[in-house]
Amino acid sequence: MRLQRVLITTCAALLLIGTAVSAHHSFAAEFDSNKPIQLKGTVTRVEWINPHTWIHMAVKDADGKTEEWMIEGGTPNTLLRRGLTKTSLPEGTEIVVDGYRAKNGSNRANGRDVTFPDGRKLFMGSSGTGAPRDGRDASEK
Amino acid sequence: MNKRFFIIAVIAAMLSPLSVYAQAPRANGADTAGTKNYTPPRTPWGEPDLQGTFSNRTITPFERPANVAGREFFTQEEVAALEKRAQEQSGDEGRTKGTRGDVERAYNDFWWDRGTKVTTPRTSLVIEPADGKVPELTEEAKKRAADEGKRPAFRGAGANGRGTDTWLDRSTFERCITRGMPGAMSPTAYNNNYRITQGPGYVAIQIEMLGGTRVIPTDGRSHINSSIRQWMGHSVAKWEGDTLVVDTTNFTDKILYRGAAENLHLVERFTRVGPGQIDYRVTVIDPTTFTKQWTLAIPYVDTGEDMFEYACHEGNYGMEGILSGAREEERAAAGKGK
Repeated sequence: MRLQRVLITTCAALLLIGTAVSAHHSFAAEFDSNKPIQLKGTVTRVEWINPHTWIHMAVKDADGKTEEWMIEGGTPNTLLRRGLTKTSLPEGTEIVVDGYRAKNGSNRANGRDVTFPDGRKLFMGSSGTGAPRDGRDASEK
Repeated sequence: MNKRFFIIAVIAAMLSPLSVYAQAPRANGADTAGTKNYTPPRTPWGEPDLQGTFSNRTITPFERPANVAGREFFTQEEVAALEKRAQEQSGDEGRTKGTRGDVERAYNDFWWDRGTKVTTPRTSLVIEPADGKVPELTEEAKKRAADEGKRPAFRGAGANGRGTDTWLDRSTFERCITRGMPGAMSPTAYNNNYRITQGPGYVAIQIEMLGGTRVIPTDGRSHINSSIRQWMGHSVAKWEGDTLVVDTTNFTDKILYRGAAENLHLVERFTRVGPGQIDYRVTVIDPTTFTKQWTLAIPYVDTGEDMFEYACHEGNYGMEGILSGAREEERAAAGKGK
C-alpha cells in the first residue's frame, strides 16, 4: 500500500513536470485545442530540420481540389538516433494525420498522430531503439 | 496584461527549464556516483579524461516528493515501478483530446526522448540542502518576481512565454537564444546530449539542445571583467584530483534561472565515476535570490552516439505561428463583439 501511495504521488509529480515542459516552443500557443483536424493525403516533401520536422502533404478536399498542408513534428535528431533518415518518408507516401489546426488559420497542424491509412504507425522499425510504445500501432495490441 | 496570467507565466518559466522527464540508454538504476577504486583514464598530457558523448535524461524527480520526505533513496521496487509507470505514461493514456494539455504534448511519443529510466535511485536531483528541495526565495527575489511584468522582455527560459504581443513576450528558449545556466546542463524532453572534448588547457562542452559549445579554460586564468555580461556567463576551471571544477560568473540580467539572474554564481563538478558515466554536480549560489546555496546531482551517461546539428532558426515557424495565431484570435474576438 505504501509503495502504491509513493508511486501515485511521485508519478503525479513527474507527469506534472512533464507537461510543464513540452516542445521547444509552446504548441498550445501555436495550435488550437478547439480545432481538431484529420487529414488524409500524400507526402510531398519533408523539412528535416531542428527543432521541429515539418511534413508537407497534399490533401484532396470534398470537391477533389488539392490543398497543401504542413504538419509539425518533433526533432529529427531523435529520429536519426532511432535509425530513421530523410529517405524513410518518401514523396507519395499515403498518411493520415490527427492533430490540431494552427490558430492563424493557415494550412498547418501539429502531427499528434501520424499513421498509414491501415492504422500502422508512420515510423516503424522502432523496436529495440528505446522508443516508447504508445499503443497506436496494431502490432502493440 | 492580466496579472494572474503573468504570475502563472513567471512561475511556469521558473519551473520549466528544470523539467525532468527523461530516459537513460545504458542506465541500470545503480547509482555509480559512489563507485570506489575506479581511476579515470588520462589524456596524453596527463589530465583525467572526461571525453565522450553523454545523455543526462532521467526520470528521477527534480525535487524530493513530499511522500518520500526524509528519505534519500528509492527502494529497488519503487525504481522498477516508477520505470514501468513512466513507460506506460508515454502512451496515449492520460491524454484527453480537445484539451490544451493534449496540444502541448504536441505529437506521438515516438518523437520524444524524455526517457523511462531512473538513472540514480536518489529521490531527487537536488542533493543539497538535505531535504532535497530548492531553498526558499529571498524577500528581494520575491519582490523582483512581482515586478517582472515591467521589464521590456520576458526573462523566462522555459517552453512558454508571458504573452503574445511581441516576440519579446516569449521565452529565450522559444527565441532560440539559450536555456541559460544551469538549464542548458539540465535534462528536458529531448536532445539531452552533450559532447565533451579536451585539449591541453581547455575543456569544451558541446550542447545539442539549441546548439552551442562552452569552451572552458583550465590554465588558471581569472574571470573576465565584471562589466562584461554573457548569456552563459564566463567559466574558468581547474582540476581537483579527478574532478573538473568549473566556476561560472558574469551572467547577464536578461535571463532568469528560478528567479536568479546577474548575481548567479555556479560551481560545477564533473567526475568520471566509471567508464560510462560522469557524476555532474552544480551548486547554485546567489544570496540575493536564494536563502541558501543548493546543489543538483545529475548522472551523465555515455551513449556512444553521435551528436547532431541543431539549427534553431532554420525553418522554425513556431514564433511566426504563435504571434500570427494570437492576431487571428484578436480579429475573431473583435468580429464577435460587433
